Amino acid sequence: MAMQKEKFEPQNRLNDSFEPPRWPARLLEWFVAPHLREDLQGDLYEIYQKRVEQVGLARAKWEYTWAVLHYLTPFFFKRQPKQYPQPFFLNPAMIRNYFKIAFRNLSKSKGYSFINITGLAAGMACSIVLFLVIKHETSYDKKHTNGERIYRVETENIKEKQTYPGTYTGMVNALDSDVPEVESVSALFKVWGKTFSVPASDKRFKESFVYADNKLFHLLDYQWVVGDKHTALSQPNTVVLSRAYAEKYFGTTDVIGKTLQLDGKQDLQVAGVLENPPTTSSFPFTMLVSFSTIKNTDPGFDLNKWNGWGDNFQVYVLLKNGLRPEQLTQRFSNIVLKYMGKEALPDKRFVLNPLSELHYSSNMSGRTANVELLKTLSFIGLFVLLIACFNFINLTTAQAFKRAKEVGIRKAVGSNRLSLVYQFLTEAWLITFCAALLAVILAQVSLPLVNDTLSIPLTISDLFTWQMALFVIGLVFVTALLSGIYPAFRLSGMAPIWALKSNPFAQGKPLFTLRQGLVVVQFTISLVLISSALLVNRQLGFFRNADLGFNKTAIVTVGLPDNSPAKLQLLRSHLTESPKIKEVSFSFNSASAESNWMQNMEYRQSEKVIPIKTQMKMADANFLSTYGIQLLAGENLRDSDTSSTSFKVVANEVFLNRMGINRPADAIGQKVYYGDGQEFATIVGVMKNFHVNSLHQKIDPTVYQVVPNNFYQAGIKLPSDKLETMQAALAHIEKSWKATYPNHVFEYKFLDETLAQAYESETRTAKLIGISTFLAVLIACFGLFGLATFTAEQRTKEIGVRKVLGASVLSVWGLLSKEFVYLVLIAFVIATPVAYYFLQDWLTKYEFRTELSWWIFALAGLGALAVTLLTVSHQSIKAALLNPVKSLRTE
Amino acid sequence: MKRTFLGEFEEIVLLVVAGCSEDAYGVVIWEQLQQQTGRNITISAVHATLYRLEEKGFLSSQMGGATAERGGRRKRFFTVTALGSRALQEIQVLRDQLWKAIPQGKLQLIGQ
Repeated sequence: MAMQKEKFEPQNRLNDSFEPPRWPARLLEWFVAPHLREDLQGDLYEIYQKRVEQVGLARAKWEYTWAVLHYLTPFFFKRQPKQYPQPFFLNPAMIRNYFKIAFRNLSKSKGYSFINITGLAAGMACSIVLFLVIKHETSYDKKHTNGERIYRVETENIKEKQTYPGTYTGMVNALDSDVPEVESVSALFKVWGKTFSVPASDKRFKESFVYADNKLFHLLDYQWVVGDKHTALSQPNTVVLSRAYAEKYFGTTDVIGKTLQLDGKQDLQVAGVLENPPTTSSFPFTMLVSFSTIKNTDPGFDLNKWNGWGDNFQVYVLLKNGLRPEQLTQRFSNIVLKYMGKEALPDKRFVLNPLSELHYSSNMSGRTANVELLKTLSFIGLFVLLIACFNFINLTTAQAFKRAKEVGIRKAVGSNRLSLVYQFLTEAWLITFCAALLAVILAQVSLPLVNDTLSIPLTISDLFTWQMALFVIGLVFVTALLSGIYPAFRLSGMAPIWALKSNPFAQGKPLFTLRQGLVVVQFTISLVLISSALLVNRQLGFFRNADLGFNKTAIVTVGLPDNSPAKLQLLRSHLTESPKIKEVSFSFNSASAESNWMQNMEYRQSEKVIPIKTQMKMADANFLSTYGIQLLAGENLRDSDTSSTSFKVVANEVFLNRMGINRPADAIGQKVYYGDGQEFATIVGVMKNFHVNSLHQKIDPTVYQVVPNNFYQAGIKLPSDKLETMQAALAHIEKSWKATYPNHVFEYKFLDETLAQAYESETRTAKLIGISTFLAVLIACFGLFGLATFTAEQRTKEIGVRKVLGASVLSVWGLLSKEFVYLVLIAFVIATPVAYYFLQDWLTKYEFRTELSWWIFALAGLGALAVTLLTVSHQSIKAALLNPVKSLRTE
Repeated sequence: MKRTFLGEFEEIVLLVVAGCSEDAYGVVIWEQLQQQTGRNITISAVHATLYRLEEKGFLSSQMGGATAERGGRRKRFFTVTALGSRALQEIQVLRDQLWKAIPQGKLQLIGQ
């Protein structure tokens, strides 16, 4: 084909010949069928030359044009049928041939095939796992009949710009009486850490459960094993269990009418059993206790409260058909006005959050999708796949010189370009297909690891669904096209004469090839990932080792099921009788905790009133010494400082700051007001700042006060954190605790571990970035290794000559490594500003953060350089050590 | 085989090719034709007729060597085939018969 196209333009034109007019000549060339074209053009040309001499140029031109016009008839246009019919390039024989050649090529260059397949498999496994994760995270709460009409009533503090998932308990009645647009209202109240037991057996577990009523079953779809959804939770003292929990307590699901005991006091009758909830539910309840039971278990619980709320009490509504949540805005402002008063309007608002959004914010299942993390992951997954594709492109084009002869011969014997493109695409497709098989296996193997790092309940069966199959097919298709299309067109486009030359690639190297460009991109991505991994780990290290202002080591926390003074006294005396325990403090929560008690306080300075939103640390007199918090001025509290006539508090420095007091000593004796504005407390001491929240947040203004009926945990300080003393101490704590609370389940936690949980998200990010960085670097190195092998092969002769002329091993090594080192350096120059920009941005979201120092980038660069040299050196040293006789002997 | 007939122009072209002393190709044939008939003929008509005669088997052709005077393009040389010469001879025989059938002196009479 290509041969025929060559035009017979006059090469050495005689001086006396004249070119015929251009456009008619072209028209003729295009119009007339090829088998008639040549002699016909020749005849016209000859006549033209004669006529120019006879009648002059202008007339000859006109005559030529006129003659050409006469050729525009179907007779001259009709193409001759080809002598040998061209078979359709996709006929079975050709396809079989494509595959045969592809297989031969794969097995001929095993090393390159291995690099290609493993690289692509790793990249594809990443995409497959990510697809699984994203599919899982987006499939929550999709299967409820009335799903589009279900909303959660959320409470928004307008000034704080913060929306909370919980709401006031009074909301249920308010919705029932004031909002006719609502079809059904269902309240859920989640409770943690209660002991359930089967009477007259040793089955006793600490559980969290939910108070709910029958409306819940109207709202959401549950599968019942036994029981009736209309009556199950209508009576007080009834409970509905999930299948797993029925079996856990009774060993069977035939449990209707059996009794469970709550906290050793309240008997509950089992009224139904639900099928185990699907993993993709934001309401995976295992124990549901009827709401009316709350009168017996928690008599103080106010079901019509409008002055404080918690995230554990959530209200769900089913809107009537065809209503949009915005239409209820006015209703909700009326509720604020009616139940909370006019002054609450500027700061309080209720919003309806649709069911489909619940998985992306705080919800009762404890699993929340981290959209940011998912986005980051998708990007990284894409990059890893891209790096693998680049490997393929690089290695295939690098091998082009090996294939050049093949392409040349194929073309010479009449292969057309399209069939060559198909040949190369078949190879790409075959490699990608092998890689996909491997990737599915890899994904399956790595699933437990993924589940663990992302804490996501994926199973093997999620991997073998039709959506997954579709995704894998699509992935194979896209990857094969992405990595195969460029080499296919590049290789098939070679002119045969050029391809058949002995060394087609010797002449004219461009300054910067695409291959080098791709290596630079690969290393840029790797470098950005390496520096991110370093920084995230550094930030994590900062979290772990930061000075919190108190001592978190060797502190054990245990719960207090009963905080009556007698029990507390008993527990303390049991605990402190042993020297293994250093100190015990009863408190509401630890010095630093995730859930806190916030209260509005006021400091009145003559006319000016300063409101201070304060965190309350409610604890006994041992609090400061147990946690090692420093007292700056004044005196510590005593256990007897509970009289309501003279409340005493110890404030921290931030609190003083808000008050406008600089010297701690000046604050002693000042009064702060709270509640309805009449009650006040006197500051008797000032404590040094300590981190009352996780390091994501600022230190709140904090006061410490003795409030015994809010003691829910004991912080126990051990003398040392050595393993053997700890174990002995723990045994003692368990014995004392069980002696005090005989009917309860003992659980303990180490404070440092509890605190570390706050940084779970960062830990997870660090792990994931670590893994993906490793993969990216690994794949990039694979590619580099392949390229280095190729370069060394190609320059064997050159190296041989150099060695004969006296080059040392070191200089040959330098020669071969140099070009890769340059590429990494270029990548470093590009990656550093990019990484700096993104990491700086990432850091600013932390209140307390490590700084982004230059050595992170330097380390990443050095690391990449070291890895590059290691990868390349193997090949270059091998090439440098080769006996020049060998490399020069064979042609 | 169905007999193919020759049109008037085809016949003349075929005769010119047969009568060419040198190698006959497009330009030469065209010039000869104009000279012999005195008609003004376009080169495209000559080409079309030559190719058609070749298709019918009265002519055969061969490409010659490339020459610079034609811009490097080759000439196509036409020669009359056996079928062509038989067709010409048959036409001549037929004409002769027809001529003989005309009564003597008749044409002269009509002509005057």
